[in-house]
Amino acid sequence: MGMSVDSYANVLAEYRTRNIRASEDVLKKGIFILERNGLGKLGSEAWPFLEQLALAALDLGRLDIANECISRLDKQFVGSPRVECLQGIRLEFKGAYDDALAMYQAILEVDPQIPYAIWKRKISVLRQSGKIKHAVDELITYLDAFYTDPEAWLELADIYASMSLYLQSLSSLSHVLLLIPQNPFYVLQAAETAYTALDIPLALKFFLRSVEMVPEGGASTRGWYGVKLCARRLLSSLPTSLDAVATSSASETPLPSAHHLALLDQLATERLLAAYSTSSPSSAASKTASVSASLAGSVAADAREVLIRWLQGK
Amino acid sequence: MGTYTLNNTAYIKLVLHAAKHPHAPVNGVLLGVKSGNDVSIVDTVPLLHHWTSLSPMMEIGLDLARSHAEERHLKIVGYYQATERPNDPVLVPVGEKVSAVIKEGFENAFALVIDGSSLGSGDPALIPHLPSTSKGVTEWLPQTPISGSTGQFCLADPASPSVALEAVRVQGLHHQFGDFDDHLEDVTIDWLRNAPVSYLISP
Repeated sequence: MGMSVDSYANVLAEYRTRNIRASEDVLKKGIFILERNGLGKLGSEAWPFLEQLALAALDLGRLDIANECISRLDKQFVGSPRVECLQGIRLEFKGAYDDALAMYQAILEVDPQIPYAIWKRKISVLRQSGKIKHAVDELITYLDAFYTDPEAWLELADIYASMSLYLQSLSSLSHVLLLIPQNPFYVLQAAETAYTALDIPLALKFFLRSVEMVPEGGASTRGWYGVKLCARRLLSSLPTSLDAVATSSASETPLPSAHHLALLDQLATERLLAAYSTSSPSSAASKTASVSASLAGSVAADAREVLIRWLQGK
Repeated sequence: MGTYTLNNTAYIKLVLHAAKHPHAPVNGVLLGVKSGNDVSIVDTVPLLHHWTSLSPMMEIGLDLARSHAEERHLKIVGYYQATERPNDPVLVPVGEKVSAVIKEGFENAFALVIDGSSLGSGDPALIPHLPSTSKGVTEWLPQTPISGSTGQFCLADPASPSVALEAVRVQGLHHQFGDFDDHLEDVTIDWLRNAPVSYLISP
């Protein structure tokens, strides 16, 4: 697809539907469209386009472009909460957090049924200005009304993890897993949270679930590394049972037998070695067009060597 | 008191990591050597951008990076992180934990916090932290921000920030840059050396 207002507008519309932020690309293509007076060609799509471009411009510090978009939107939709939300984000960009917060509060008071976007901004400002406890309270209030919003549960899990409250974080994630059971990344996040909370048997269970969902490629490498880490840690503490911390489980997840753990350890080793031996240098080379293929070949060798030393270690 | 000097490669990679994930509190480690009392930082190994408060992949990434450093006769000498709150560049609790682990293997360990609000202004935008122990409790305290090629913490080349800015804005090198999180999704991504990027910047 060449460079034209139409083709760029299509790409940007695709980003909007798939909820992809891609601020740099949006800004580049958006400016192209504005400069060629392409707004008229977009019809009713012009408004969501301006909203998207304003957000990208604020992300990248282009206040001039953001101002142009917001003032066009403001003329068309006087008093719209979506435009007010953009104005709030512009205040955030200028560092006027209290003013932004007041703006979001005012929008929510008029219509508490407003989508998560504005709650999200409000919570993000509270986090940014260090009002973490307040942010947690707001999220809990929001989730009372909108239980089925996984994004908000993820945000809550993230806040708890950043406060080192890993068990609370895990309990927020359990809601995400109920709402979206098929996403392997959330299962991995639960596994890693359980591990950080020192519930290694539960972490192992989640890591195993993730590799069941994605046995090869993609998320599986992370999953197998996790299986190996947990199995090794549990095995090293088993014979003596001296390391009570490593084998205890707040969730009372049963510990696999020593024999089963040894098999899992072996399986993870095999899967990791396989992942590194099948990774073809050619696909790496295609990502780095400017560098010779021999350089890319040494990449795989490097990574495989450190992996082998890690697998043999400890 | 020894000095800490970051070379061009180490500085630029750290900026590329932050530029690739402007909305994430990225972190990673710095490789270097000590001669006399002075530490030279010669490379950056980027670790995470997904769940930086969680420990399993951090533990594994640290192990792998350490093994890679030994192969190159280097040590992990420091930790770096960007912050989620651009106006509040502090070392978060996880950063203190990782820095403490690094200190077990390297006595003169330090941490750098990337000041997101001044990154991109031509300023080095790095706030060093050093450990201070009193009554058995270790705290990581902020030091004078890096301002150029002088001071206890400094850049080998005072032009590094402007070179880094060009690497992001003109060359878009951050798009070719990968960390351990990226590598876990695609093992062909060269997080240890970032060879394609290293190749294009002079040390």
